[in-house]
Amino acid sequence: MDAHVAQLQMQYRNYILSLYQQGFLDDQFTELKSLQDDGSPDFVAEVLSLFFDDCVKLVGNMARALDQTGTVDFCQVGANVHQLKGSSSSVGAKRVKGLCINFKELCEAKNYEGCVRCLQQVDIEYKTLKAKLQDMFNLEKQIVQAGGIVPQVDIN
Amino acid sequence: MTVERQDCVALDQFPVGMRVLAVDDDQTCLRILESLLHRCQYHVTTTNQAQKALELLRENKNKFDLVISDVDMPDMDGFKLLELVGLEMDLPVIMLSAHSDPKYVMKGVTHGACDYLLKPVRIEELKNIWQHVVRKNRGSNNGDKKDGSGNEGVANSDQNNGRANRKRKDQYNEDEDEERDDNDDPSSQKKPRVVWTVELHKKFVAAVNQLGFEKAMPKKILDLMNVEKLTRENVASHLQKFRLYLKRISGNQQAIMANSDLHFLQMSNGLDGFHHRPIPVGSGQFHGGAAAAGMRPFPPNNGILGRLNTPSGIGGVRNLSSPPSSGMFLQNPTDLGKFHHVSSLPLNHIDGGNILQGLPIPLEFDQLQTNNNKSIIAGNSMAFPSFPTSLPNNNNHLVLEGHPQASPSAFPGHQINKRLEHWSNAVSSSSSTLPPPGQNSNSLISHQFDASSSNYSIPFCDSTIPLNPALDHTNPRAFYRATDLDSNANVQPGVYYDSLQMRQSGNYGPTTDAMLSSNPKEGFTVGQQKLQSGFMGGEAGSLDDIVNSTMKQEQSQGDLSEGDLGYGGFSSLRTCI
Repeated sequence: MDAHVAQLQMQYRNYILSLYQQGFLDDQFTELKSLQDDGSPDFVAEVLSLFFDDCVKLVGNMARALDQTGTVDFCQVGANVHQLKGSSSSVGAKRVKGLCINFKELCEAKNYEGCVRCLQQVDIEYKTLKAKLQDMFNLEKQIVQAGGIVPQVDIN
Repeated sequence: MTVERQDCVALDQFPVGMRVLAVDDDQTCLRILESLLHRCQYHVTTTNQAQKALELLRENKNKFDLVISDVDMPDMDGFKLLELVGLEMDLPVIMLSAHSDPKYVMKGVTHGACDYLLKPVRIEELKNIWQHVVRKNRGSNNGDKKDGSGNEGVANSDQNNGRANRKRKDQYNEDEDEERDDNDDPSSQKKPRVVWTVELHKKFVAAVNQLGFEKAMPKKILDLMNVEKLTRENVASHLQKFRLYLKRISGNQQAIMANSDLHFLQMSNGLDGFHHRPIPVGSGQFHGGAAAAGMRPFPPNNGILGRLNTPSGIGGVRNLSSPPSSGMFLQNPTDLGKFHHVSSLPLNHIDGGNILQGLPIPLEFDQLQTNNNKSIIAGNSMAFPSFPTSLPNNNNHLVLEGHPQASPSAFPGHQINKRLEHWSNAVSSSSSTLPPPGQNSNSLISHQFDASSSNYSIPFCDSTIPLNPALDHTNPRAFYRATDLDSNANVQPGVYYDSLQMRQSGNYGPTTDAMLSSNPKEGFTVGQQKLQSGFMGGEAGSLDDIVNSTMKQEQSQGDLSEGDLGYGGFSSLRTCI
């Protein structure tokens, strides 16, 4: 059992590190993790699920705004991008945030093609992140079920 | 009373428990913000709608200390919310945004935001946001709240406005310095104490209404009131208290103004329950010489102090610091009526808690005229604040003399002690000018300090602080010190309470000493002038009696614990800080 737990923990640690290294997560995610404590044990999961809900909503809004047959309201798109940027930066979703910065510029330039492409990328990116974090949570669950505790991963 | 207690408690622990309202339409950010704020040990309320936030704020202005709001919100622009909150509730508002564009930051500034944070917010940034509450309280004229109840903040009269910014750096010292300077000129002369009678207050309110509350300046008010022998300082200090009072009563100043006259007066009297606290004055002359057990924050003897302190904390201090405008007491109750407070007694009733509430002390003053203990309260509050927490360099020598309390412990405490010393010296030197050397007085002073604070406080309460000027024309510092004290007291809400306590103890010593030994009348006037809060007022004639009686009592008592004077305060102050 212990060996199994240790192995899981190792796996977990490596996985987390890879997420940071690949730019999926940044320091803000670390901060988020630090806010989780005994008082709020599911804090990270809670916040992330709120974030992904927001992603769905905002991407939907942007898709609708860009799908207008008439004139595209880039301001509207820009407002949604802005919001997504805020929330992604708050949770530490580094890649999503990076895309939002580009997206904003495209909106300001009223680059329709660019916006559409960027939106597609945002869509892929947040879904990828969601899957990866889901894997992370699963690993945590496995560790706990195996009787171990989820290790604190030191990014530095 | 209960409410007061809660406020006091909240203040004591400030910034822990500071009540924050967080507004952000982004639920992810809101949730994170909430968690971060909890981590900072603030009390958090969240809403994702600006409209709802306004409703919450309008429902009870005193429910929150600080608002943090996102800039981009669908139902209302964050800047609009910022404006409304600033106007209606005068609460500090911090803007939050993912926009790092300087023009947004500038917009925040021009709309009155206290700060502008960028997302993602880090906890380090949130740990210091309480400073905005304190700053607001200190500098706000119309608005309120500092910490906790915001009432504490000293209402800034025009005098203080300019100082608000400086406060940040060295609030205590700077304020004191300024005040000292202000007081220098006017204080050197004996000024009659002003008693704010109902009629006088009515004139005051009428003048303020005529000018417009926002624009009311002491000079103009004074001109409109057209009361002989009323000085601008008197008006300024009264205005300060009035503003504090309004804040305290409700957010809607306009509404209050309409009804404020009597209410204000009544409030001050009844607020603190000073009246009810018996202060162990010991002298028959004092009313309700019972121990001021009621005083929550202060030891019984410090009942008076409590009162004194509170004014300082809230605004009383400020008042004091300003030039003897408070003119609270008229030595010659001619135009303005007579002093009530000075006489003392009501000190017992000092209810530190009340003062803290920031009720306008002057009001109590009027009541005092009726020789109620209540009046003492007013006086007390005044007296307390008048002690400048920071000692002017000049007086240092005085202060340090032989008084154990002079030990430079907590900031306020230190000053208080110094003041005490100073007072003692002054007092002991007898009506003659303050004896800087105060050698002879030292022993006397020390003794006096030790004497029950209550004895001292009574006569001093309001006016005592200003005693310096009166006592020692040559020693304007003493006078200022008092004011400093007050100002210091007001400095921080959290600290406020503590400092008040400290002050109380401190004040007792000096005030009483000063009053007792030296020419009481002078002492009072001086103090009053300084005090601004000059509620002390009381009967001039009786003042002498009181002083004398207190002196005797003090000497006999001589057991005023040093802790009362300020040691205790120091420690509390320390913790507060």
